[in-house]
Amino acid sequence: MIGLEHYIIVSSLLFSIGFFGVLLRKNTLVIYMCLELMLNAANLALVAFSRYHGGMGGNVFVFFIITVAAAEVAVGLAIIVALFRKRQTVEVEELNTLKN
Amino acid sequence: MGSELYAYGLLAIPLFSATLIAFCFRRSGGIAASVSIGAAALILATALHLIFKVDNFEYNASWIEIGSFSVDFGFLIDDLAKLMLFVVAFVGFLVHVFSYGYMKEDPDRARFFGGLSIFMFSMLGLVMASGLVTLFIFWELVGFSSYMLIGFYLDKPSAAAASKKAFIVNRVGDFGFLIGIVMVFSHFGTFSLSSLSAIFHGDATLLESVSVTAIGLLLFCGTVGKSGQLPLHVWLPDAMEGPTPVSALIHAATMVAAGVFLLCRIGFLMTADALQVITWVGVSTALVAGFTAIAQRDIKKILAYSTVSQLGYMVAAFGLGSLVALSGEASHGYAVISGGAAAAMFHLTTHAFFKALLFLGSGSVIHACHHEQDIFRMGGLAKRMPITFWTFTVALLALIGTPFITAGFYSKDAILALAYQQSTPAFFCLVLGAVLTAFYMIRLWKIAFLGSPKSESAEHAKENGLVMTVPLCLLAIGSVFGGFVWAYPEALKPIIEVGESIAHGEHHTTVAIFSIVAWAIGLVTAWFLYQGGAEKDPLESGVKPLYRIFKEKFYFDRAYDWYVAKVQQPVAMTLHFMEQIALSGLIIRGMAGVAGLIGIGLRSLHVGNLHQYLYWFIGGLALFWALAVGIF
Amino acid sequence: MTDVFFYIFSTAALAAGIGVVLSRNTVNGAMFLIGTFLSMAAMFVLLEAYFLAVIQVLVYAGAVMVLFLFIIMLLDVRESAAKKTSVYTWVASFIGLAILIVATVSVVSAESIKTKAAALPEPSGASLKPFGYELFTTYLLPMQVTGFLLLIAMIGVIALSKKLDTDGSAK
Repeated sequence: MIGLEHYIIVSSLLFSIGFFGVLLRKNTLVIYMCLELMLNAANLALVAFSRYHGGMGGNVFVFFIITVAAAEVAVGLAIIVALFRKRQTVEVEELNTLKN
Repeated sequence: MGSELYAYGLLAIPLFSATLIAFCFRRSGGIAASVSIGAAALILATALHLIFKVDNFEYNASWIEIGSFSVDFGFLIDDLAKLMLFVVAFVGFLVHVFSYGYMKEDPDRARFFGGLSIFMFSMLGLVMASGLVTLFIFWELVGFSSYMLIGFYLDKPSAAAASKKAFIVNRVGDFGFLIGIVMVFSHFGTFSLSSLSAIFHGDATLLESVSVTAIGLLLFCGTVGKSGQLPLHVWLPDAMEGPTPVSALIHAATMVAAGVFLLCRIGFLMTADALQVITWVGVSTALVAGFTAIAQRDIKKILAYSTVSQLGYMVAAFGLGSLVALSGEASHGYAVISGGAAAAMFHLTTHAFFKALLFLGSGSVIHACHHEQDIFRMGGLAKRMPITFWTFTVALLALIGTPFITAGFYSKDAILALAYQQSTPAFFCLVLGAVLTAFYMIRLWKIAFLGSPKSESAEHAKENGLVMTVPLCLLAIGSVFGGFVWAYPEALKPIIEVGESIAHGEHHTTVAIFSIVAWAIGLVTAWFLYQGGAEKDPLESGVKPLYRIFKEKFYFDRAYDWYVAKVQQPVAMTLHFMEQIALSGLIIRGMAGVAGLIGIGLRSLHVGNLHQYLYWFIGGLALFWALAVGIF
Repeated sequence: MTDVFFYIFSTAALAAGIGVVLSRNTVNGAMFLIGTFLSMAAMFVLLEAYFLAVIQVLVYAGAVMVLFLFIIMLLDVRESAAKKTSVYTWVASFIGLAILIVATVSVVSAESIKTKAAALPEPSGASLKPFGYELFTTYLLPMQVTGFLLLIAMIGVIALSKKLDTDGSAK
């Protein structure tokens, strides 16, 4: 029997995979993709809770998350493009100009 | 209601003059001088009116009130204050006029006259003060004016050092004074002199307690500092770095007399033990200063040590006379005029006249000799500066106590009479002091005025103008007639009368004989030892070791220098070091360092390294999760 | 039967996720991400949230990933040598893993989760009607705000992507 706990475990595993991806990769675009992975993991958990506890709240929440994530991706990619134009690179380490 | 207006006026006039000079007339010396002299004239007029036309009064205005602690600001105009007011106003006015001529070529004279005005303000306030706190405030102000005026010549480092020394040594005395004032308040709950006097008259047993002795001695510390008693006399000779009118007014006639004035004001709280101490401090000061004066070459230094010596006489007089009063008749009245206080004030008045005259005369001499101050390089001035010579002679005769014709004889006799009555050792010490006084003054007189000139500047000396000689003459009149009671107007008589009655009291023949003999011995010895206009001091080669001790001022200065260098500085450096480490280092810079560290730590949040942001993100996440789970 | 599907699709999602993280080629990574999204959509279907599954495919796999691929091809990114992992990475990874495990275990072992397998409530996201109803009544404000957000995002993107002259002013 698949219970809520299975979905939670999958969600958290996916979240951690995305998290390690953000930690370990240097390319901004890849980091961004792993970010989307994390968002999706959260979506999964929300829908699972919504299913098992009843009520529309979780689903509607996911609906909004998807919308906002789409908008956010658009803006983020525009920023990355502008950054690329300026610095000719999308490597996170080379984008750092602050004196440490 | 009206009387205290005069007192306020006496304070306001010099204050106004000083403010005016400070703000408007800094650069125009002539106008500043006129303002200051005008103020001094007004002060003299007001003071005379106050003395002759206004009855004794006391006026108090509540100034600070915090719960049960209250300090009044007020004026106590009694016979003592009136006499002192007369001295201050009269001598002050004459010195102001004299300085007009003396400081004519000095470009900074506006500052000088401003300082004189401030001094008049402080001194008048001190004389009229009705409470110990008010007195102390003006006491400190007088010290400040003295500091400002001693250090008048800005380009002389010796002047700056002297003014610093004066202030610091005064401060040492004032420390004891302040503790005494605090003790007075804690014991009696009031600062007002008249209330304290009433308390002491009501309860004779108070004069037997140890704490009252302590209070008396602590308050005497102020006198030790201000009036240059041993061991705090070291600042007075150095104070001669200031211009001569300053020395005349402040360090001869008035400020140094403030200590004696204080003693007379608080005479009622002196116990027998305190008086013994005071007497012997005065006697030893008189002697030590007398011996030191024998070996000095600078005309002003000789006069300075003479001042210290005479102040010792005044203090000793106060001590001796009050002892007599304690053992003899009861003291009475609104102002306690025991014999001691009367004799001290009598001598103070006459001393003010002739010492101021001596200083002004020396100023005249120095001015004429183009600022030559070594007496062994003068000589033959009698013919070249007649008026100065004659007035100087008159004052000198008064100082050494020339019998019957000078004021100094009577006032010194009063002191000697008291000593004879009370304590024979003190009497003989004071007689020896009289011998020394005559000796060094005649030495000065002969070498500086008689004989032939020993240097260029002395040869070209000539008499100064009227503005400098008229004050000299007026003071000379005071030096001669100041000893006769009939010369004093009614209002000033009470104290002088008591003083003179002591001089003419019992044993007065014996005392008179002793003083005349002392005068004669000193005069004759000096006359034959020194030729007029000598160039070297025969004593120097004669009694070398003794002479060395005298010349080195009994090594007092050396001792203080050693103390400051070897004891005080290390302590101060240790404290400084500890302060650097503990306070500035640990606490202040430590706090700054901690703030800096926090800044550095927080800065690492903003490095621009994306991954670092993530690490912080994890950290925060862990924290929040722990909070949510309930670990904290 | 549904259990098997759950295990298949969850494995697929996790594998694709690992593929995103580990792939050297960025385009491969993007493809793997699409795979993840499709698996997620399948799991939504399993959870009887059909509308959301369709939206996921349409928006995420359809629009977002296409945009990603466009930008990847535009910028012509090449992955350079892997950075040497500093000690902080290991520390952070360890902490993250620890949190994850502990959190999951604590959530999963909570009482309110375990009992639900038996009595499932009615699937509320099954049909579209409740969705629309909720959106326009209870969640009206968030919907309007989201509309504004989309407008702003659009304006922002246009502003950001203007070509700048050499001296920096926008053409």
